Order: sequence, then C-alpha cells, then structure tokens
Amino acid sequence: METCRIGVFICACGTNIAKIIDVEAVAQTISKLPDIILVKTYKYMCSNPGQEMISQNIKEHKLNRIVVAACSPNMHERTFRQALQVAELNQYMLEMVNIREQCSWVHKDTVEATRKAISLIYAAINRVKLHDSLENLSVKMNPEVLVIGGGIAGMTTALELADAGYFVHIVEKNSHLGGNLSRVDLTAPYFYSARDLISERITRTLNHTKIHVYLNSKVTKITGYVGNFEAEISKLNGNSKEKADVIKIGNIAVCTGYKEFDASRVTHYGYGKLQDVITSFDLEKMLKKGQVVTSSGKPPKYVAIIHCVGSRNVEFHAYCSRVCCMTALKYAHEIKSAIPDCYISDIYIDMHAFGKGHEDFYLKSSEAKTLFLMYEKNDRPVIHKAKPKDDCNLLIEVNERLSGEHIEIPADLVVLMVGMEARADAEEVAHLVNISQDKDGWFIESHPKLEPVATSTDGVFIAGTCVAPKDIPDTVAQARAAAARILARISKGEIEVDAVFSEVNPDLCSGCRFCNKLCPFSAITFNEEEKHSEVISALCKACGVCVSACPSSAIKGRHFTDKQILAQIDGICKGNEFALSYENA
Amino acid sequence: MAIRVNPGFIDELDRYGAEDVQLCYQCGDCSTVCPHADEYYKFPRKSLRQLQMGLEQKIETTLEPWLCYYCGQCSEQCPREADPGETMMSLRRWLIGVYDFTGIARQFFKSKTSEILTIVIIGLLTGGFFLFYGFQHGNIHIYDGKDAFLNSSFIHHFDLSFGLILLVFLLINSVRMWYFTMIKGTPLKIPWWMYLKEIYQLPWHFFTQKRYAECEVKRGHKVYMPWILHLGLMLGYVTMLILVMVFIEQLQYGPEIRWQVHFFGYLASLGLIAGTVYFIRNRFIKNYIQYKKSHSTDWVFVVLLFFIVITGIAQHIFHRTGFYEIANYIYVAHLMFVVPWLFRMPFSKWSHLVYRPLAMYFATIRKETLKRQEKLTNPYALSIK
Repeated sequence: METCRIGVFICACGTNIAKIIDVEAVAQTISKLPDIILVKTYKYMCSNPGQEMISQNIKEHKLNRIVVAACSPNMHERTFRQALQVAELNQYMLEMVNIREQCSWVHKDTVEATRKAISLIYAAINRVKLHDSLENLSVKMNPEVLVIGGGIAGMTTALELADAGYFVHIVEKNSHLGGNLSRVDLTAPYFYSARDLISERITRTLNHTKIHVYLNSKVTKITGYVGNFEAEISKLNGNSKEKADVIKIGNIAVCTGYKEFDASRVTHYGYGKLQDVITSFDLEKMLKKGQVVTSSGKPPKYVAIIHCVGSRNVEFHAYCSRVCCMTALKYAHEIKSAIPDCYISDIYIDMHAFGKGHEDFYLKSSEAKTLFLMYEKNDRPVIHKAKPKDDCNLLIEVNERLSGEHIEIPADLVVLMVGMEARADAEEVAHLVNISQDKDGWFIESHPKLEPVATSTDGVFIAGTCVAPKDIPDTVAQARAAAARILARISKGEIEVDAVFSEVNPDLCSGCRFCNKLCPFSAITFNEEEKHSEVISALCKACGVCVSACPSSAIKGRHFTDKQILAQIDGICKGNEFALSYENA
Repeated sequence: MAIRVNPGFIDELDRYGAEDVQLCYQCGDCSTVCPHADEYYKFPRKSLRQLQMGLEQKIETTLEPWLCYYCGQCSEQCPREADPGETMMSLRRWLIGVYDFTGIARQFFKSKTSEILTIVIIGLLTGGFFLFYGFQHGNIHIYDGKDAFLNSSFIHHFDLSFGLILLVFLLINSVRMWYFTMIKGTPLKIPWWMYLKEIYQLPWHFFTQKRYAECEVKRGHKVYMPWILHLGLMLGYVTMLILVMVFIEQLQYGPEIRWQVHFFGYLASLGLIAGTVYFIRNRFIKNYIQYKKSHSTDWVFVVLLFFIVITGIAQHIFHRTGFYEIANYIYVAHLMFVVPWLFRMPFSKWSHLVYRPLAMYFATIRKETLKRQEKLTNPYALSIK
C-alpha cells in the first residue's frame, strides 16, 4: 500500500465556524498527527481561491488523501471533489468533516467545541487512510420518454420533448386528452377560453408523429432504472386478455393531476341535499352551456360564492388550493356579464391574489361591485333554505369578520369553490414509479426550491398539480421544466452514476433475499440462475440498509466499508483523548 | 338574530354620491389618518363596510357620518381610491333622507331633475303670487311703508307662518333622528340626567364648529380656511335669518340706514358673500379633495344661497339709491330664490345645521354612557390604558 500523504483543510466559514471553534488551535493540534503533510485554514474554503489552494497543495505536496473540515457534505462535497479532480486525484480520496452544522452551530462552549472538532477530524483522518480510488459508472440513456397523464401538464411535457425530436409515450386513463382543464370554460384573469388553450394541444398531441397516445390505459408495471426503464401499459376497458404493451423508455414524467374535493363532506353546506347549492365544476358546466339558472330554471338574482371548500381547514385540507380565489372572481365577472342585475357575494377567508395580473383582477371585481365578505377559517358559513316570504332560495349565515356582524346573505344559487386534492390513485402511481407522497398525498420533489420537478428516483420527474395545487401558468412552467430536465439527460446520451453503491459478493450470498425486500429503491434483484442477489448500481442510493441487514455479510457498501466506518468510530474515541492531551500540554 | 345583507344597497347609495365605495378592501388606512375616529367611533372604515354590506338597519342608527367633517385626508390616503370622505358625505345625505318622514329629501337626493324642477316651479309660483299680490295691494313705485309694493308686515307674517310649518317638519325629523340613534341604536339605557349634563354641547358645537377646525390638525395647517369661511357663512346666515324673521319691518325701512339692524345685516352679508364665493370657487377649481366631487344638491345649496345674497344686497342698494321700481322687482326675484330655499330646508343639506350639533350632543352622551358602563363592569379598564 502506498504511503498516505494527508492534507487537512479547515474552513472558518467567515465567523460561522471560527466564532465557536478555535480554528488555529485545531490546525496546530492536528498537524501533530502522523502522515499529516500539511494543515491549512482559510476563511471560505468553498470559494474559488479556497478550492485553488486545495488543488495547488495536492500538486505541490503530492498529497493523496484530503480531509476538508467545513460544512455538511450535502452542501459542498461536490465542490471539493471537483478540487481533487482538478489536481488529478481520485475524487473519492476526500473525506469531509462537518464542523459547522454538527459542531459550531450547535455548541456554545468554545473549549468543548474545539475539542469535538479535533475528534471529528481525527476520525476522518483515520477513515480517509482506508479510502479506495473509485470510478463513476456510466449507463446508456434510452431517449424515449413515458408521460403518465394526458392533461395540460402531460401534453405540454410530451410536446416539448417530441418537438425536440424524441419519442414520447403518453398514457391517459380517460377516453380523451385534456384532463381537468377540459372541464373549464374560461380562465382567470384574462378570460382566455380553456377550450382554445387545450384543443390546440390535443390536436397536436394526437397528430404528432413522435407521440404515441394510449387512451383508456394505465401503466401497470415499471421495472429498470434511469436510462433503461421498462413499462407495461394495459387497456382499462374490459378485455383483460388483451396483451399489455411493453415499452422501453429512459425517463418518466408523472403528470397525473388532481381531483376536486367532494363538497358533500362539508355538512354545513348541504351539497347534494339542498337544491341550488352547486360546486364550481357544476357552474363550469352551466357556463359552458351559456345558461346560469337556478333549479327552477330562472336566472338567479343573488349568487353567493363560498371560498375554501375543503381547503385551509384542519378538518379537511390545511393547505391552500391556490386557484380557487381567482376562479371565484372569474365567476363573479362571468355571471355579472351574463346577468347584469345579479348581485354577487364572495364569501372568503383571505383573498390570495398572488399571481401576475391577479391584484388588478381583484380590483376589477371590486369595481364590478362584487360584495366581499370575510369569514374566519374555523367558523364556516351555514347554508339553509329561505322561508317563503324571503325573496331568495337560500340564506347563508356567517360571522362576518370585517364588520364584526352576524349576518345572513340572500342567495338563489350558492357556488362552492371546491379545492384540489391528491387523486385516490396517487398512492398506486407513487408505488409504481417509486416516489414518495407528503401527508396530503402530493408527490414530493427532491428539493422544494432547487429541484421542483425531480424526485428521489433518478429518471422520474413530476409536474403540474400532482405535486401540489397550482394554476395553469405554473403547471405549464413545470411541465416545460420537466421536459428540459429530461432533454438535458437525453442529449448527453449516457448518464453517470455515482461510484458509491452496494455490491453483493456472490460467493458469500446465501440467497435469503432479505435485502431484496428491504431495499427502499427496489435496487436489488435476485439472479434466479445463479441463485444470488444482485444490486442494480444505477438505482442504488447507497443508503446502506442491505449492508447492515445481510446476515451473511455478503454485501459491501462501496466507500462505506465496515473497515472505514469502524476506523472512523475508533478515531472519534481516540480523538478526544488526543485533543485533551494537547490542551494540557 | 342575524342581520340581513342587502347587496343592492350600494347601488342605491351610488345616487347619493358613494360612487367608489365598492373599491374599499377594508385596510383601515382611512381610520388611521382620520382626526376624529376613536375607539368608540370607528369610521370611516366601519361605515364603509356597513354601506358595502347594505346593513341599512345598522346605518340608520349610527352617528358616525355626522362626526366626519370631510377634510378628505382619508380619500388622499386610500390605496384603492374608494373615496371614504365622499362616502361619508353620501351617508349623511342618505341619513337626511332617513330622518325625513315625508320622503321628499330622498327624492331630491336621488333625482337631480325632480329637485331642480321643484325649485323652478316653486320659484315661478312665488314670483307669480307676489307680483299679483303687489299689483293688487301695492304700488310698484313705492318700496316701503303702508303702500309699498310688498308691505313689510305682510312679508313678516308670510315668513313667520312659512317658517313655522318648516320648523315643525324639522322638529319631527330631529325627533326621528333621536329615536333612531338613541333608542334603536343604543343598547344601553341612557340615564335622563346625562341629557342635561351634556346639553352645553348643542350651542358649543353650533357656534364654534370646533371639530371642523380640528380636521386640519393632522395636516399641520395653522388655520383651516374652509372652517373659518364655513363658520362665517353659517353665522352670517343665522344672523340674517333672525333679522328677516324678527326684524324684517325695520330691515325694510328706508331709505335711511338704521344702524342697529343694518350693521348686523352688513356683517352677515359679508360672511355670506365670502362663504358662498369661496365654496363655489372651490367646487369649480376642485382645489381640495373634498371638492373634487360635487353632488347636484351641493351645487343647488351654494348657488341658490349665492343668488339669495346677491338679490338681497341688490334690492337694498336700489332702495337706498332711489330706484324703487327696480328694487321691488329684485325683491320679487329675491323671494323667488328664498321661498324654494326655505322649502328645501328640512329636506336638504341645509338641515345639517340642526343635525350636526345634535349628533355631537348624542354622540357624547352615548360615549359617556358607554364609558360609565365599562367602569361599572370593569373598574380596571381605565387604569390599564
């Protein structure tokens, strides 16, 4: 084995680390250890000069092991690996020590924190000595894409990819494309016709030579990994004998959309029991027909619109559905222009006019004399039938917040703004493509800010309202983002996979298949012929579950070998004594 | 019991001048800048809300519209240009209509045509009547004395009887105001002595219009011109009213000047001329925000008053300079303006002369009663503040 020439680089992170940890003292103490060629401190190690310093020192001093004591590896491991690569040192010869999140940010005592930092670095030095040179793998990328869901998000993703020249399979459960948007009449705030928006997309999708549309179909099975998935698509209507289509794709876009909240769950509103209490989608139907009427066939004199039905309430969904406020204003305008002497009350919790042009739209609705009435989140209005002497069908009782009055609002037609919720089959889809859902059933993105369309599974992207409630512009933006992400991967032709993954030693494997079931990423399969388990390295996220579970110790986690981990633990124990001995001296 | 919302109310108030109230989204900026709003009387925000929601039953019992003197700071501040100042003004107009049991006030406020038509008809009838009476009983070449074209004792009797009838209307309306605001609108029982204790409010606010002056405190103006001129106009008007109602025979006597009455007459004319010219000018050039929108009744009010003053002065001058015939014709013209003006008294903006001090009187009583109640139920409330 070659001799270890270790370089230790300690970051002060401005004052983030230096104000609690005596960085210079750490450097001095560590430099006393054997095999340490140099110890450097720097104000911001992640900065360009900091990285250059690492690269330069590697070359100058022929360093072959690097320890960087700075922030979390989540933050900057890539950065420092890059610095190693620049100096032509294998990137896996790096070990990071997190002395910020795990030390300076969580401790107050300078002496103790400094001692802890020394221990952690000591442990990392122990570990880095055992590091191996590893090479990243590359996998060929199948350029075909599967899009699940044929709504505005799905079609946009598909068209974007197909226009770029790649073949797309689009799978839609219903007998037609268009999704929820095809149920809408006009859109807020500019009154573009939804039909106009969507029909152009539908025609293009259906006629595109690079798109294959599967209607009345469902993806029933997905196997493989990024770049090389295999999907089974089955027809939904009847004939189960009909053979399922099997397609090979490299990436998957999930655009399964939402389902509207079932208004009858809010018993106060009597949806389904009281006549003339309708949901926003019922009203859309009326608007599409061009006839807004009450159950008796007459145009209403008073229309009340109730916001947040099923949304912003702990009893149902605590989140905001984002589109209903502007949709409600759209109804106010549409009804007012259809029936000019109709009075519209808009019963809301908060007016969320966050998007472009929304505030103006809100102002316009005020100008059109829409009566805005505010209610408390947990004090919902109650709808009941009016008495014969009243000039309206229904009365809505509510505690109005801005006036502080308990009021009743006359209404001939009550429109319930039903919120969005995750589809009932979202869980099934999540299992199918191996992504996770949050507590409300929405699919989870890999980073809410920086990775809004990627998921924890490589090669699976999410876009539109299956991620969270959103309006059309946001949905389209996400769909295009997903397409862009997929295109970037396809255009590379192959995909690099981290060298950190598990390996099964076939000679030791007893074939118990514990690991097959335990793997959260479905990355382990069983080789029936040779009777042992195999890791699909492209799918493996190196979580280490299989390594620790294997009763035969047949699985090794690359870059996380038992030896490396034990050496690190040993180092932590010894490091403390080491630090103490130098403190006293 | 839930109060019924009337979404159509806002359309009705549109005709009283509340053209932009629908824009209000209740941020409360108006109440913050208002020099008069306090924890008991939260306006304009709350009044605007009640208007938007059409809580008529509530609004007719409120005194808030009368506590506003329309300095316009709220309208300047309003982020949505809902014009709270003008909205408060429109509520005052609406309240005048509510207090008036005949319904004439409502008609006048809602329809410009009906008001102007009424004025023209009454003016013409008056002109016709006095010309007929004059040529029957008097001599067009004589201005005063027994054979005068319009005998001053006849005019005196005419004035008194006409005034008495209108006073009855005004009294009934004031009692209605008291009933709406103090009986219907006050949940607390008001002790009788409270009415006595606060009675000084009536003359105090009538003669000083102190709150109007306070309007400008926040703007930092040392002297508020609209207040001074309004006070001058009002005092001039009241002086003239007393002179005409009580001392008409001495006032009309001539051609020499009787200083004991005419001195007051000149002073009053000065106030009236200055006031009317100032307010007409403001409404024309819209120099302050409160003059940006003028309701038809506002124009009728100042213009009619201006013509009354001008014709009044003219007949006085022609009488003193010996042009008796012209003086008599102008006298008839003067009456043609005065009679419709008097007729409008209980049904128009004029009545704020009575309602404003009454409102301050009632508002103070209400507030004091409330404070007293708070002290009884929570003796620590005041010490906490």
